[in-house]
Amino acid sequence: MGILDKNLSLRNRNKILVGVWEDEDALIHAADVLVHKGINIHDIYTPYPVHGLDRIIGVKRSRLARVAFLCGTTGLILMVSMIYYMYVVDWPINVGNKPVRFTPSWIPVMFEGTVLCTAFGMGFFFFWRNRLLHGVKNDLLDDRQTDDRMIVAIETTESMNQAEVIEMMKSNGAVETREYVNGVQTVI
Amino acid sequence: MIHDSLIRERLVTGDKTASDVTRDISRPILNQPTSAWKIGFTLSVVFLAIFVVSLFYTLWTGIGVWNINKSVMWGWDITNFVFWVGIGHAGTLISAVLLLFRQKWRMSINRSAEAMTIFAVICAAMFPVFHMGRVWVGYWALPLPNAFGSLWVNFNSPLLWDVFAISTYFSVSLLFWYIGLIPDIATIRDKVKTKTSKFWYGLFSMGWTGSTRSWARYELVSLILAGLSTPLVLSVHTIVSTDFATSVIPGWHTTIFPPYFVAGAIFSGFGMVATLLIVARKVMNYENYITIGHLEAMSKIIMVTGSIVGIAYITEFFIAWYSGVEYEQYAFTNRMFGPYWWAYWSMMSCNLIAPQVFWMKWARTTPWFIFTMSIVVNVGMWFERFVIIVTSLHRDYLPSSWVMYSGSLTEIGLFLGTFGIFFTCFFLFAKFLPVINMAEVKSILRNRE
Repeated sequence: MGILDKNLSLRNRNKILVGVWEDEDALIHAADVLVHKGINIHDIYTPYPVHGLDRIIGVKRSRLARVAFLCGTTGLILMVSMIYYMYVVDWPINVGNKPVRFTPSWIPVMFEGTVLCTAFGMGFFFFWRNRLLHGVKNDLLDDRQTDDRMIVAIETTESMNQAEVIEMMKSNGAVETREYVNGVQTVI
Repeated sequence: MIHDSLIRERLVTGDKTASDVTRDISRPILNQPTSAWKIGFTLSVVFLAIFVVSLFYTLWTGIGVWNINKSVMWGWDITNFVFWVGIGHAGTLISAVLLLFRQKWRMSINRSAEAMTIFAVICAAMFPVFHMGRVWVGYWALPLPNAFGSLWVNFNSPLLWDVFAISTYFSVSLLFWYIGLIPDIATIRDKVKTKTSKFWYGLFSMGWTGSTRSWARYELVSLILAGLSTPLVLSVHTIVSTDFATSVIPGWHTTIFPPYFVAGAIFSGFGMVATLLIVARKVMNYENYITIGHLEAMSKIIMVTGSIVGIAYITEFFIAWYSGVEYEQYAFTNRMFGPYWWAYWSMMSCNLIAPQVFWMKWARTTPWFIFTMSIVVNVGMWFERFVIIVTSLHRDYLPSSWVMYSGSLTEIGLFLGTFGIFFTCFFLFAKFLPVINMAEVKSILRNRE
């Protein structure tokens, strides 16, 4: 599996059924209903984080925490090796007759280096995994999905009864329904 | 089951909807600058020019244009450095510590507080960098391979820890701020009309769509960054305090310095946040977002941290007496009743006595009064650093080295000039980026339990 999350792009997809919601509670309820009916929701786009949606549509827990831990460990090892090399191996200096080996005075630099590597390592993978890169074309289904509308995207399959799905969205609070084919949207 | 809270006060007033939030907060960005902005920005640029002139004079003539001397080798420069670094602490505190404690009132103020952190750290960095004198060899402070006999930096020195701490703090705060900004930049991207604006906001929003997957990761990353920034913010001012505490100068050589400096940093940082936000909420009509409730919460923090700092002053004084060390005792008596008594008593009255008015509800809920107090706090905290640095240094061990010190015109110019840097950056930020975190504020409109 690649690092980049391919689900985030809408290119080369089948027809997508789009439902627009205005209310957070209605959306959570509708998503729940749709998933229980066996419909696979591709993604939901919201202007702010709506808690619980990720679990409803089956987004797995992110592994970025583990990535952060690995980056932090790398940072710590790098800092310890750096100080050890400079301070013990390459050019030991007698400062106030302090021993030329690990001393607590190394800790601040080790700590700062660890934090720096953790934050930037995790940040790097966060951008990569989330397909966040300068100049990436944003696949918006609606201009208002970053403002006040919540958009449900359902990728169609051959076995899907599309009319039934659209009806289900409407009856569960969708204020608009559309279909999206190759970048073109039609209101239905 | 989710309910709307019946008893908890609303964090955002005025029955705002999500689209109201977008409209209100993106208004300064989408419209032409107001006259208030233009006046403020021009004034800031004037101060920035004072900085440039003072700096040019310092670099051209040499560090001798400052009044520092062999006894008082740290004067206004390090005072200003600690002052600005302290101010830079509230941003990360608000965004990280209050996030970990699930304090949702932080959501209206975290963006501007984080921006303030970044600008304040830039201002702070100016002073130690130019205090080096030969700034063009400033890179010697970094552990780089070199041709000077493989001599490396000294990892035992708090001054080196500072290099690492401040640069890490700046970088991590910048990353935290930028990640938080991405969804809001995307909102602006979808609102702006001109081609240039679309290009720039598009570039910096990096294709953000608000996907549930992205939000889940975004929230996780914010939480981890908050968890990292909390010890980081404590470490930075602890390290700044060890610049003093690891020396053997009476008045500096005390173990209370780390917690005392951290509390002081939060105190002064909240002072500056209050100064900025009280003006911003009025000028930009954000009273529904930065409510009296927010100001009250900040006032309480100012009072608590002010009291902690006050206890530290008294403890220092007590320990100087209790230790029986006559040098320590002299240093503290000299602070109170020596030639710099006015600085000491300004510090005491601004930092310990004045914030006690916040015990009164009226004081905590009256914006103009909080604004006045926030200025008092910042003046007091500048004096605190001046007192610590100058009163301890001006009486050297040998009476023949006793001197008096006051900042030269250039030093004053540099200090005033950093306000120019700070406010120029802040005005640009207020014009081009959303001052309030729209995405987060939208999530608390419902006042959920």
